[in-house]
Amino acid sequence: MIRLALICLLCIPSLASAAEREPFDDRYCTTCHGTDGRGNEGVQAPRLAGMEPWYLKRQLENYRDGIRGAHPDDIEGLAMQPMASGLTDESIQDIIEWVGGWNYVPAEHTISGDLDAGRTLYQPCATCHGADAEGNEALGAPALAGQNDWYMVTQLRNFLAGYRGVHPQDVYGAQMRAMTTGLNGENDINNVVAYINSLSD
Amino acid sequence: MVKPVSRREFLNLLAAAGGAGAVVKAGAALGIMPAEAAASTLDLAAGNGRSAVILGGGISGLATAYELGKAGWDCTVLEASHRCGGRIFTVRHGTLIDELGNRQYCEFDDEPHMYFNAGAARIPNTHRTLLGYCKKLGVELEIFINENKTCWVQDDAMLGGKPVRNIEYTTHLRGFVAEMMAKAMHETDMDEPFTEEEAGTLLGMIRSFGDLSEDDVYRGSLNAGFDSGGFLNQGAQKDIIAFRDLLKTPFAMRLLSTNEGETGPILLQPRGGMDQITEGFLRQVGDRVSYRAMVASIQVRDDGVEVAYDQDGARRQIRADYCFNCIPTHLVTGLDHNFPADYVRALKHVLRGEAYKAAFQAKERFWEKQDIYGGISWMNNRSQQIWYPVAGIHRRKGVILAAYDYGGGMYHTRMTQQERVEAHLADGEKVHANYRDLVEKPATVGWHRMNHMLGCSARWRRSFREGWTGETEQHYRTLQAPVNGRHYMIGDQISMRSAWMESALLSAHWAMADLDRRLRNAPA
Ligand SMILES: Cc1cc2nc3c(=O)[nH]c(=O)nc-3n(C[C@H](O)[C@H](O)[C@H](O)COP(=O)(O)OP(=O)(O)OC[C@H]3O[C@@H](n4cnc5c(N)ncnc54)[C@H](O)[C@@H]3O)c2cc1C
Repeated sequence: MIRLALICLLCIPSLASAAEREPFDDRYCTTCHGTDGRGNEGVQAPRLAGMEPWYLKRQLENYRDGIRGAHPDDIEGLAMQPMASGLTDESIQDIIEWVGGWNYVPAEHTISGDLDAGRTLYQPCATCHGADAEGNEALGAPALAGQNDWYMVTQLRNFLAGYRGVHPQDVYGAQMRAMTTGLNGENDINNVVAYINSLSD
Repeated sequence: MVKPVSRREFLNLLAAAGGAGAVVKAGAALGIMPAEAAASTLDLAAGNGRSAVILGGGISGLATAYELGKAGWDCTVLEASHRCGGRIFTVRHGTLIDELGNRQYCEFDDEPHMYFNAGAARIPNTHRTLLGYCKKLGVELEIFINENKTCWVQDDAMLGGKPVRNIEYTTHLRGFVAEMMAKAMHETDMDEPFTEEEAGTLLGMIRSFGDLSEDDVYRGSLNAGFDSGGFLNQGAQKDIIAFRDLLKTPFAMRLLSTNEGETGPILLQPRGGMDQITEGFLRQVGDRVSYRAMVASIQVRDDGVEVAYDQDGARRQIRADYCFNCIPTHLVTGLDHNFPADYVRALKHVLRGEAYKAAFQAKERFWEKQDIYGGISWMNNRSQQIWYPVAGIHRRKGVILAAYDYGGGMYHTRMTQQERVEAHLADGEKVHANYRDLVEKPATVGWHRMNHMLGCSARWRRSFREGWTGETEQHYRTLQAPVNGRHYMIGDQISMRSAWMESALLSAHWAMADLDRRLRNAPA
């Protein structure tokens, strides 16, 4: 933390008076994402605790490089994008280590739906995300079980509407977007998320 | 001959014309109904070694520490940020603006009058509890000027975008409106319910409201300012702006009421910045505050409250008999807690506001050369307002507010710092030629992204039209009441009028008075 604060101080335009200035660092994730990155519905910031380091790294880099969170209708993505835009490779690494130390608390369920319909809809998803939604690093697919259900709903909507997964460099996002075309409207989204919820019960 | 109206009838008449609100106000003026209560004060029982942990060093938290401390309680304030005050935020030389994704250090010159109130900026004269604290804490106040009719009104759609003085605009507007009202009085039986004397007074009022000629026609007014002369020579009247042109801008609907209600006179401000209020409290309770102490967990028990917080890279614990919490509701939902389900539902019901403000340092006080001392210029563009400082009149430099968007702040918030600054320069130069060369050292604050705040003010109502529904009020009462008698939410968020410091204080007083009453009534 102290090391990071020093790195940040070095980026400040006016060095002469840097010493007397109020320091800050890049470990501010929990302001939005809640205690130990548990996710905060109040500001629509998802759970980070338990997130795979490789997935977290990819998303932070995508946000930083404007590959994610650049679409004008991706409201939550737009909120996140500037949070990452100033991050260095070192601070991304530091954040990943920090997140790795958090207590994982499974997300509270806020959505219910038709589980049978959800199970059917989930079959194609299982190929990459796993039958128990446990994720698959080799395929670049993150775990879904235990993630905030309201967040998954938002992301499915965003993929479907073309707010996410349309940037030419977002290879995994494009794959995911193609998969969501099998979902037909809000009901399907609800049902498949309700089914994913049931996997972590 | 028209029969005179009785006082009661007159009130009914007003009610028919202006809704119930008119009756309440007029009633108070006539001494029938009680006026508002005096400043809220507390008379708390002795603390007897009881302890309180106060979450957040907003004004409500600091006032709680102050009041309970005076009554002998053992208080601790946990503040996540490097500073107290929350939405009371004065930006001056060297200030860190902790906006996530856009951190800035303010580069204004290091002088007492060179500051910018990025959050709260105005104190209405009726906010007695707040004014009472200012007096008690030795916070020096001065008059804040909100409406200054010498300031400008600018709209691209009006007169080819040429700015006009507010006084010109509003004088003409009143003139034309008065002419219509006077005509209506002559042509219809508008004077029916009044005695001749009353009707005469009413017509006289309309004439003076619009500065009409003898024949009840508006032909311009010296109230709009002199074109030339006025002191040693005969003053020449300015040309009228056509009514049509005045109606080209939506300001016609707003400018006659900017000086009404809570932003009406008299407004005050602390000399040297709004944070002088925070400093005043800190002179009393500063030693009780722990900074960079970010609350992580709140567990309400039968015999007290356990709070965990992160500080210096470690998780620490504190236990107290009672807890007062002014952390914004939308951040409380992200903490570890054991609140009951209806309380959590209520916390989630409250949405967050989006205010945005920006300021520039001006290299010279160019507005004073245009006879402007304080007040607001209105622009019909996204930057909306320019505020001129009362502080430092006739000095070389000053700090002006360059943009204030209270309702739709995301427009600028989503921009990069460079884009924000360029937007304000482009908007401002429509009012002040050479604006671009006259200002420097921008400071911008998107409240939606301010660390540990992430919003401006609680939004309880789902729509302005709908107002407070029964369901909303139910949630409000749920959050106002303590959890297990131990944990109180406080702050302007727990009031029916958010976005005022007075509300934050009154909410804290409500909570302390409620606890005090329960403690006094408890069996020994
Ligand atoms: C742009 C703007 C203009 C305004 N104009 C006016 C005005 O002219 N007049 C007026 O009277 N009012 C105005 N207000 C409103 C006024 O600023 C607020 O009503 C008042 O300051 C709120 O005080 P509060 O006690 O509710 O706490 P806040 O100011 O909301 O403080 C909350 C505190 O909690 C801290 N905190 C957050 N998370 C944590 C955590 N996890 N752990 C510990 N601490 C935490 C924050 O850092 C902060 O210090 C304005 C506000 C804004 C934003």
